[in-house]
This record gives sequence, C-alpha cells and structure tokens, in this order.
Amino acid sequence: MDIREASLTIPAQLDQIQRASSVARKLAEQIGFAESDLNQIELAVYEACANIVQHAYAHQTDGHVHISARAEPGRRIVITLMDTGTTFDPQTIPAYDPQQVTGGDGQVSGLGLFLIQRMMDEVRFEFRVPSSDPSQPGCFNRLTLIKNL
Amino acid sequence: MTSSLSITSQSLAEQSIAMLSLAGRLDANTVSQLERALTDAQLAGHRAIVIDLGELIYISSSGLRVLLTGRGNARKRGADVLLCNLQPAVREILEMVGFSAIFPIFESREQAVAAALATSDREN
Repeated sequence: MDIREASLTIPAQLDQIQRASSVARKLAEQIGFAESDLNQIELAVYEACANIVQHAYAHQTDGHVHISARAEPGRRIVITLMDTGTTFDPQTIPAYDPQQVTGGDGQVSGLGLFLIQRMMDEVRFEFRVPSSDPSQPGCFNRLTLIKNL
Repeated sequence: MTSSLSITSQSLAEQSIAMLSLAGRLDANTVSQLERALTDAQLAGHRAIVIDLGELIYISSSGLRVLLTGRGNARKRGADVLLCNLQPAVREILEMVGFSAIFPIFESREQAVAAALATSDREN
C-alpha cells in the first residue's frame, strides 16, 4: 500500500495552527478525499489544535503541538496530535446540542469538540501516554482523528 | 502561514443598517476583528446588522461563537443580525451547529437588506 505520511511540530500559538490543518488537508487531498471532506478534516484539525493551545496550554507559553498524518490510499487518513499540556476529561465537557442553542446570551460550550466529532469518523483521546523516545522522556497527551474515504 | 480576514463596513438606509462584508477566514486568530466590527456597529445605533459572508471561505468554532454573541448583544439593544451570501462550506457548518434555525439567512444582500428594513418598519 502506498502510504503517505507528513508531520509537523508547531509552537502552541493560535497564529500557527493553520499550518497544522493545512498539512492534514494536503495529505488528504493526495488520496482523493472530496472537497467537502477536505474542509471537514481541515476544520477538525484546526479545532483540535485550538483546544490544545487555548486549554491544554492555557497557562504555558512555551508549549508545542506535534501533528502527524498518515494517509492510506483507498482507505482513510489518521491524524495524531500530541502535546504535553494539562489533561482534561472529555466527558466533563458539556455536550453541545444544536437543537438547544438559542443564541439568547451567545454563550455556548462544547462547540469545538462537537465539530471535531461530527467531522471525523473516529476521535480518540489518550492522556499521560508514556514517551517511548529516550530523547524526550515523560508523558504526553494524544488525540487521534480518523476519517474514512 | 497566518490566517487573514478583511471586513468592510458600510451604513445603509440612513444609518439604520450596518453592512459588514467578510472575506477570508474567520477563526481563532482573526475573530477579534469581527468582535470589534460588531461592537462598533452596535454602538453606532444601527437597527440591524447584515453580515455578508460571500467571500468568507472558512469559519471555526471561534467565529461561530462571535456570531452568536454578536446576535445576543444586538438583540439586547433591540437590533437584529442577519446573514447573507453564504458559501456552501460555511453554510454546511452553520446548518450543522443549528445556527440556520437561529439566524435569518438570505441568498443575497439585497434580500437581507429588504428583510431588515421590513422588520425595522414594523417596529417603528
């Protein structure tokens, strides 16, 4: 199988995360995802990175996000985001319900996570994963996003 | 690579309507521009704010939140926020998150302006 891969490490800054979503989009484009799917992949990666920057690294200015993408032609794209920021329990995020949003006060929560889950076929959070890289000991958080062709 | 957004503001119908035309990407990095434009439009006392999304190619959850907050703030002042000219990709997101049931959405800016004027006339 002609597997294609790309990876990138960005500083955890909002003005950098479009680089990560573009890498995933370009790789997905190479294996024939439709335009609407490419938009969804780009947005899911953007939202995931934004969550990491704004929440996992909320109190840290020198964090990084490592993005790797693996495109399996005819099958799927697997995108992995890794960070060393604060962990969270996705179950504690209030679920966004598009049927309940009223717009009265403009306050909504869980919108980013809702978009990620709607855009991708599989979303998997793992926290405090021990590093297997001796040059970078410690633990990291890993978010895996999968979209099938 | 950084994202970019441009916003053009106009006053229409003897200052009763603010028209904001957005081009580019509305995301976490650019959303403060729309926040400022919406605040300015509200402070100027417009009865309606029409947001033309004809050249907006991308919207993230940050952009969606600001649209919702802008609408909430406008309504507290008795004004409304209307959207028009949505690109298919942006329309898909708005429909997915349920905003198409909240915001008045029009195919063209002319239709949006006509609707804003009709609402304004009814309330006067």
